[in-house]
Amino acid sequence: MEAHFLTDSDLVSFLNWLEKRGDVYVTARDDDGNVGIKPYSETGDFAYPGVRAFQPLKPFFFSALEEVAEYPSTESPIKESKPFAIIGAAGCDLRAIEALDKVFLEGDFKDPFYEERRNKSLIIGIDCTEPLETCFCVLVGVKPYAEKGFDLGLVKIEGGYVVEVGSEKGKVVVGENKGLFKPATENHLSQRDGVRKKTTDMVEKQSKEFKPGGTWQSVMAKAYEDNAWSKNVETCVECGACLFICPTCQCFLLYDQKTKDKYKRLKMWDTCAYRSFARVAGGANPRDQLIERFKHRYYHKFDYFFKNYEFEACTGCGRCIVACPGEIDMRKVLKEICRS
Amino acid sequence: MSVVKNVYRPITAEILDVVTETPTIKTFTVGPKEDIGFKAGEFMELTVPGLGEAPFTPSSSPSVKDKIDFTIMNVGKVTDAIHHMDKGATVGVRGPFGAGYPLDAWKGKEILIVGGGVGGAPLRALFLALVERLDDFKRILYCYGAKTPEDLVYKELLMNKWPKLDPKKIEMRVTVDEGDSSWKGNVGVVTTVVKDLGMDLANSIGVVCGPPVMMKFGTFSLVELGFPHNAIYLSMEKNMSCGIGKCGHCMLGEFMVCQDGPVMTYDKVKDKPAIWE
Ligand SMILES: Cc1cc2nc3c(=O)[nH]c(=O)nc-3n(C[C@H](O)[C@H](O)[C@H](O)COP(=O)(O)OP(=O)(O)OC[C@H]3O[C@@H](n4cnc5c(N)ncnc54)[C@H](O)[C@@H]3O)c2cc1C
Ligand code: SF4
Ligand code: FES
Repeated sequence: MEAHFLTDSDLVSFLNWLEKRGDVYVTARDDDGNVGIKPYSETGDFAYPGVRAFQPLKPFFFSALEEVAEYPSTESPIKESKPFAIIGAAGCDLRAIEALDKVFLEGDFKDPFYEERRNKSLIIGIDCTEPLETCFCVLVGVKPYAEKGFDLGLVKIEGGYVVEVGSEKGKVVVGENKGLFKPATENHLSQRDGVRKKTTDMVEKQSKEFKPGGTWQSVMAKAYEDNAWSKNVETCVECGACLFICPTCQCFLLYDQKTKDKYKRLKMWDTCAYRSFARVAGGANPRDQLIERFKHRYYHKFDYFFKNYEFEACTGCGRCIVACPGEIDMRKVLKEICRS
Repeated sequence: MSVVKNVYRPITAEILDVVTETPTIKTFTVGPKEDIGFKAGEFMELTVPGLGEAPFTPSSSPSVKDKIDFTIMNVGKVTDAIHHMDKGATVGVRGPFGAGYPLDAWKGKEILIVGGGVGGAPLRALFLALVERLDDFKRILYCYGAKTPEDLVYKELLMNKWPKLDPKKIEMRVTVDEGDSSWKGNVGVVTTVVKDLGMDLANSIGVVCGPPVMMKFGTFSLVELGFPHNAIYLSMEKNMSCGIGKCGHCMLGEFMVCQDGPVMTYDKVKDKPAIWE
């Protein structure tokens, strides 16, 4: 992979250049030390986060609520969006974008709204250096560094960054800033490899106790009737937090509204945790019981999605573990259903 | 502004005619303002302006392009609003979506259709499509059941018109759960007429479409008769919103029924959770 070196001050120049090109979002730590995502115009600098942000990147491409049509009409109002760059996508964030791309851009139909914003995005990945206690990316085939699925990838090393080029789009922006990007030396690259090995070891160590006995699919194939589900669902309050915070959850509902002289169609996030989600006319409901909805989420992430796309839709980011008011830890649930 | 096809936008359509089929079912003929063809078994999302959409399978012949019939049972919010609409009213249509019946793969076969209630809607589109190329098929046996004679959808077609089309190749068996004084036909659920088929099962296709309970027992009876699981075609009714395989509402195991179905063979779905609900 094409790699360059960028000094700390040249990164700032590069961000300033990106800001002329469109919107720029960077990861930033708040007073409590949590990593969030903010407009660069607000922060004025970039603090290498070393871990994923609290919020997923999904809303950049698939908003919680957006207008998707106005009718009656014969046109297609797909608003053109401004180019934008996100700096600070962790390995798990990159995998999530890969999953959403499968859902929204493949098949007989593309989601034109997702596609428009995806086309306008420049994704700059980072390598993790400070994984959280809840991180388990390595258990779902994700590396705690920018392995693929990015336009540019940053690794913090002494005095600056190794910058890897992961796409044609990335190549173009580097090309337009030739003066800033220096060749990466052997020394730079070996520092990068050191960072990667260290973090991978850390995440592997903390994930070891949750490692499944075989592939997730082989585990799930045997787990549907397992007794451990019912105990684990007890503290679920059906709030949907785990699903709304999930970087790969795709579910939505089309919802129509009357305006003054027209009608509007909105697309809003929905979740399979809600009881009415799959209910059909006449009251039949394939997932009437909470436990069935609870299992559906795990099966979608670890089995169904894999069957369709050959990777899991869980990225190991651990956001659902942090978000759950019932303290349900996905890793522990999976461990219990695997064990019995 | 770049012109990209917006799959979420409904095409404007006018209601051209309304026929009351039963106390709870009406057929609406709509005229879309833009071209929108379909194949038998594919479905569309019908919009009641400002209220929302619901999925329906057209019940008219797929070869008629400028008008589309929907046969709709009044069961809730959207369907009730449609039932209160008249000739001249404006609706929206989006689609067609999903996989319909693969008629080309059925060439040379005998076809058993088992239907009930409003399930007769997609089956009418299928039947009409089959009849238009009847030379391609050996025989059609259509078994249809309703609760009472009053609940028979397309009564005139089922009882009088269709049996006369080609008596050598087409047989109709109509039944009701409960008869009345005027009813001279069979009484019993639809599975009671799905027997003595005289079919070469290795060379036959079974099609089942109807309310959940009928789907379940209809399918079981075909299995019992010896139909291969991959020759039994079911119309899976799941909650749907987008129709394009994105929103997750219609998931059945790993399938997005709106795209992988709604017509699916029994072998594919039989081990998935809650297929009959
Ligand atoms: C592929 C397909 C084809 C169909 N074809 C026909 C047909 O030809 N004729 C007919 O009468 N009915 C058909 N149905 C069933 C019809 O879609 C439902 O009766 C209808 O959605 C009920 O909407 P409602 O608002 O009146 O009911 P409510 O119970 O008030 O439903 C409220 C909402 O729940 C959801 N919902 C409820 N039931 C269903 C359902 N079965 N499928 C999807 N979403 C649902 C919808 O979002 C709906 O707006 C079909 C369903 C599917 C999936
Ligand atoms: S899950 Fe892995 S990639 Fe994601 S933040 Fe944690 S260590 Fe980084
Ligand atoms: S209806 Fe949206 S995915 Fe099938």
